[in-house]
Amino acid sequence: MMLFRVWLALLLTVTACRAQAVEPPVFDATQLRLIRSFGPWPPAFHPDTGNPLSGRPSAVLLGAALFGEPRLSKDGGIACQSCHQPQQGWSDGQARSRGLERLDRNAPGLLDSRLQRWFGWDGASDSLWAAAIRPILDPREMGGSVVATATLLRGDPVLACLAGHAADGAQLAQNDEELLVLAARALAAFQETLVSPRTAFDDFRDAVLAGDRDAMARYPASAQRGLALFTGRGQCATCHSGPAFSNGEFHDTGLPFFITDADGVRRVDPGRHRGIARLKENPFNRLGRYNADPGSAAVIPVRHVVQQHRNWGEFKVPTLRSLLFTAPYMHDGSKPDLESVVRHYSELDEDRLHSDGEAILRPLRLDRQEIDDLLAFLGSLSASLDAPAADYAARRADARRLCP
Amino acid sequence: MIRHSLSAIAMLSAVIAAIIAAIIAAVPAAAQPAILPLIDAHVHYSHDAWQMVPTEDAIAILRRAGLRKVLVSSSSDDGTQKLYQAAPDLIVPELRPYRSRGEIGSWMRDETVLQHIEARLAKYKYVGIGEFHVYGADADLPVLKRVVALARQHKLFLHAHSDADAVERLFRHDPQALILWAHSGFDRPDAVRVMLRRHPALWADLAFRNDHAAQGQVDPAWRALFEEFPDRFMVGTDTFTPERWFYIEEHAKWSRGWLANLPRPLAEKIAWRNAEALFARTGFRPVD
Repeated sequence: MMLFRVWLALLLTVTACRAQAVEPPVFDATQLRLIRSFGPWPPAFHPDTGNPLSGRPSAVLLGAALFGEPRLSKDGGIACQSCHQPQQGWSDGQARSRGLERLDRNAPGLLDSRLQRWFGWDGASDSLWAAAIRPILDPREMGGSVVATATLLRGDPVLACLAGHAADGAQLAQNDEELLVLAARALAAFQETLVSPRTAFDDFRDAVLAGDRDAMARYPASAQRGLALFTGRGQCATCHSGPAFSNGEFHDTGLPFFITDADGVRRVDPGRHRGIARLKENPFNRLGRYNADPGSAAVIPVRHVVQQHRNWGEFKVPTLRSLLFTAPYMHDGSKPDLESVVRHYSELDEDRLHSDGEAILRPLRLDRQEIDDLLAFLGSLSASLDAPAADYAARRADARRLCP
Repeated sequence: MIRHSLSAIAMLSAVIAAIIAAIIAAVPAAAQPAILPLIDAHVHYSHDAWQMVPTEDAIAILRRAGLRKVLVSSSSDDGTQKLYQAAPDLIVPELRPYRSRGEIGSWMRDETVLQHIEARLAKYKYVGIGEFHVYGADADLPVLKRVVALARQHKLFLHAHSDADAVERLFRHDPQALILWAHSGFDRPDAVRVMLRRHPALWADLAFRNDHAAQGQVDPAWRALFEEFPDRFMVGTDTFTPERWFYIEEHAKWSRGWLANLPRPLAEKIAWRNAEALFARTGFRPVD
């Protein structure tokens, strides 16, 4: 965390020094509307009606305990937090994560994931709890099983006690699959509590809305110019929209998506195209028997989404909050730092985009000042993650107290 | 009396045979066991694909997809020639005007492109010139007029990624031109219908489109268009990035899925017969 503070201070200082010759921008009406749409932060909590444990404090404790539980994996050595570490923005700092094997993708940060509609880089899950099942059962990730998870939940006195509390006094399910779903729902209930802290940008956004010029002036001019680029010529806000800075959908941003295996075999990661197929065949999707609210509007997208040619090589638009902690970037971790991400969009290879596809994307041809400004703005979307990490530790301690 | 009876029996037999033939023709392709051959009429093998998908791997992908022929154009044309040399029985080469990627937006104003085209036409065999990108009044630029003239001179079709306006202009340069309209212009069915009615020598590929079929079902507006113009449509993948080569098999499977929703004779036309018929209108003779 200390390193983060030093980094952020340096970034803001450097960009502020460069900014001395340039005044803060004047935002037009469209930009002001966009700035307003990036908040308020933190957002209000709305439980997932498809998950009966969503928002239930006792389930959060079970979820926190399970999140750090390596016995969910086949070899007893990999927990959720192995790839989603609190100090790394709930990712792992690896380009491509390693479970029981080297995986194809970068571990996404989990902060603010409750604001998403699809989960995973390919959106193969349509709820946070279904997304929690996938790595447990994936033979390359944790390699667990329905039976092993259920056996653990029944057999371990602490977990059984926590599960009992999570079930709110109801008798624990006897069916293995139902116990797996209970574990997944508790993991989701815990992950719903992972929220990025307020940032310098949030203070600026609220000051803009309040017309508080003094407070606005505390936001560095370079970050303001970066915000102007973000909401203006860069058109970044077209996809990185809303309080979580993501439209929650999938795009081809001209990034290669080949994977070369250790034995030299080359293949592709089809991204959203295969994600839709996996979503449709997933028995835990919102069309399945475990959805507690089959009448909700959340069912509509999974019922109607269909594979399209453009989905080949599309990946989900990630949130930009707490971005400084989740390097390396992109679905395959191919960009080591934020500047290389910004340069990707600045020097975009248009030939990799279909001429009738992602028409929104054009090379931005940013100069050095503009790159620094965008970096300053992006940096201002992060703040110390000490609090969420401490919350996680506190919840695990609470769980131990509740069920020693 | 006997002669009358025999004649009646013969007539009855003919009627029954005609009914059976009609029934067979109307049976959806899904009921027919044989895998539907396909001609993929929209494949690129551009320079960034050569290393990532070596020629032998590319040919293997095309064969695995069960393709009868593949219409290939590349930036640069060397990619097409690599494939053609490796599998002349499979590859149908067309000449893309682009010497490398990155000329999509500028080639029509660059007259040195013409030297490139003429040199390649003198050296290699092609079925068409394209796929090239041109929109609106740019189709009246001198480079385009010369390209149209070269196509006529060499008995080639033009494969145009264009709006309807540009296609109209190309036909004005040569009313006898043969044009394959890439992506059916990404136009709506009613707009495509207008163009097909107006131009009997216009064909349309369905590459990178999804609106004509979803979940194996053909959209009613598109079905009506296919039925009105059974001889004009063809399928294609569009491998505009190297990674898209790994989509060819998936696309072939998808194409067979929705084509199975059509009567077999119509499905076969869109799957491969129309492309073959277009190739036969040119001076190019595919290798069997």
